[in-house]
Amino acid sequence: MCGVPSLLLIEDDDAIRTALELSLTRQGHRVATAATGEDGLKLLREQRPDLIVLDVMLPGIDGFEVCRRIRRTDQLPIILLTARSDDIDVVVGLESGADDYVVKPVQGRVLDARIRAVLRRGERESNDAATFGSLVIDRAAMTVTKNGEDLQLTPTELRLLLELSRRPGQALSRQQLLRLVWEHDYLGDSRLVDACVQRLRAKVEDVPSSPTLIRTVRGVGYRLDAPQ
Amino acid sequence: MTDTQAGLRGWTAARKGVWSRLRFTSLRLRLVVVFGLVALTAAVSASGIAYWLNREAVLTRTQDAVLRDFQQEMQNRAGLLPARPTQDELQHTAGQMANSSQRFSVLLVAQDADGKPLYSSSGALDGFTLADVPKSLRTAVNDKQRVDSSDKAAYHLYWQRIVEDDKPYLIAGTKVVGGGTTGYMLKSLEQEAKDLNSLAWSLGIATGLALIGSALLAQAAATTVLKPVHRLGVAARRLGEGRLDTRLRVSGTDELADLSRTFNNAAEALEKRVADMAGRDEASRRFVADMSHELRTPLTAITAVTEVLEEELEAGTGSVDPMIEPAVRLVVSETRRLNDLVENLMEVTRFDAGTARLVLDDVDVADLITACIDARAWLDAVELDAERGIMARLDPRRLDVILANLIGNALKHGGSPVRVTVREEDDAVVIDVRDHGPGIPEDVLPHVFDRFYKASASRPRSEGSGLGLSIALENAHIHGGEITAANSPDGGAVFTLRLPRDEPADKKED
Repeated sequence: MCGVPSLLLIEDDDAIRTALELSLTRQGHRVATAATGEDGLKLLREQRPDLIVLDVMLPGIDGFEVCRRIRRTDQLPIILLTARSDDIDVVVGLESGADDYVVKPVQGRVLDARIRAVLRRGERESNDAATFGSLVIDRAAMTVTKNGEDLQLTPTELRLLLELSRRPGQALSRQQLLRLVWEHDYLGDSRLVDACVQRLRAKVEDVPSSPTLIRTVRGVGYRLDAPQ
Repeated sequence: MTDTQAGLRGWTAARKGVWSRLRFTSLRLRLVVVFGLVALTAAVSASGIAYWLNREAVLTRTQDAVLRDFQQEMQNRAGLLPARPTQDELQHTAGQMANSSQRFSVLLVAQDADGKPLYSSSGALDGFTLADVPKSLRTAVNDKQRVDSSDKAAYHLYWQRIVEDDKPYLIAGTKVVGGGTTGYMLKSLEQEAKDLNSLAWSLGIATGLALIGSALLAQAAATTVLKPVHRLGVAARRLGEGRLDTRLRVSGTDELADLSRTFNNAAEALEKRVADMAGRDEASRRFVADMSHELRTPLTAITAVTEVLEEELEAGTGSVDPMIEPAVRLVVSETRRLNDLVENLMEVTRFDAGTARLVLDDVDVADLITACIDARAWLDAVELDAERGIMARLDPRRLDVILANLIGNALKHGGSPVRVTVREEDDAVVIDVRDHGPGIPEDVLPHVFDRFYKASASRPRSEGSGLGLSIALENAHIHGGEITAANSPDGGAVFTLRLPRDEPADKKED
């Protein structure tokens, strides 16, 4: 996460690919492009980019499937590019592991802001550690261990955990979390938070369906509790 | 809805049901009445004729027998009396006469040797005196007629029916030819009257039975007619409620079966037509949806590139030819407009297709309004009167769309300052957006939420897409809320947004 961030743009439409490449390059990113999901997965292995911008509607394997395949091995940030803001697309996209999404027609500036926000999530800022039961969050090394085992968290999941752990026992609303973690404005999609909390619970909780660490506070949001 | 209203509505419905049944039975009632009238007329005339014929037959037979007997007795007994009988002779004869088979009472009138009138009565009916004999009868009996070839006797037998003390009697009298004795007889017709009465009762009962029978028949006839009519009514109501697949079972070949068949054909035609129209409507909606989707792809590319152009202009590096600059700016601004239009079209098609979903969150309404105003740099033009801490469970993005459209519209047409007021009412949050412009003309007011509605053809092209208020209204509806437009008495237009604080479905909690 130093120097010029490198991106992988997977988009099948030539005009959009060219225009976004042009726009993102002007914003100071190194951009590699692929026209299909298969090509994108190949480029991912070769170039190891910092972030992937992924179109949902792709010929062959679609964006959701690409997302799921990446998540099996990698925790690098993924931003979905969806032509439809139909809710089902967003939900499926977030469930398949995307960190954020933007709706076409996307403004280059918005996309750039999202990219930078996602990338910032991996940056370390303090040098202490916190322990919640069997969960140890090492803010210096930016690692999380559970029962001594390293957990593979995406930068977004890690940042969400860090923000919650910074205020243990205090409930944070979804809008607050959207500002803190996603750096979205007041209209952030609260489903981003919900989907990310689900993924995080699946990794840190003993029984994800009955969470003891990340609790839902009805009518407010979420709270990180140290088990009694 | 309160309980009282519900009760009231239930009562109204019940009353309506009773009314419709009453109305429904009126045909039944008419049939019963007509059947009844026919039966009554037939029965009454039949039994009337039968009664009169019978009455005449019975009375005539009795009367003839009595009179014949009386005449016989007069000839055989009174005729044997001397012209001047004694009281005893008269009494004896009267007693003999009264003993005849017909059991009538006899009154004999004669003159004794001194010319004094003698009266002698006998029989079952006591106190038969001359006073009981009508005067007309006495006159007729005593009237001596001229004897000629056609009229062989000087005195005739006269009779009359009288009613005394509500009892019918036959009274007759005659005078013995050549003798001075006048005889009267009185016969009670009570037995005959009783018989006739019981006959009248029987006939009356028969008429009553005929009436009841006709009513039952009418009911049966009405049922056979009204049942299909009722079924037809039910089917028509179902059709009206939108269940276009309603069909009637056709049985028989009568007019009602024809009507059922016609109904079925009409329903089928209607269903087909509605299906056609729905299909066409669906096709045109899908076309708009597909079209806006298709527009998005090139727009995404164009937007990304125009931004590059815009930044180039703003950087002021001189890399853009000053002659070309206005053209570039036009492309940039119009691309933005096109983006908004396509975005709004997409939103509208989502509402039309019913795929719009709420993403609910608990938000502070005042904070959201502040953020909405702030994000669009309207802070100077909008006065906000809202206390923080009014929490509501709603979709923040959709509320933002509503507010942006309402406030934007107020700023565009009403001019600043625009005043936004938030208040709580029971289970609702009410947001008023009031401008200080000229208000909305009365004829435009009902159409402000229509899509692409222009107050007049000559109105200058507005900056909006023509969909803003319509989208705002749809967004309020999807929350279970409402927006109303009105003119304030103090001038200016007021748009009132009312949203329920709690969305009933709470799907997000885990």
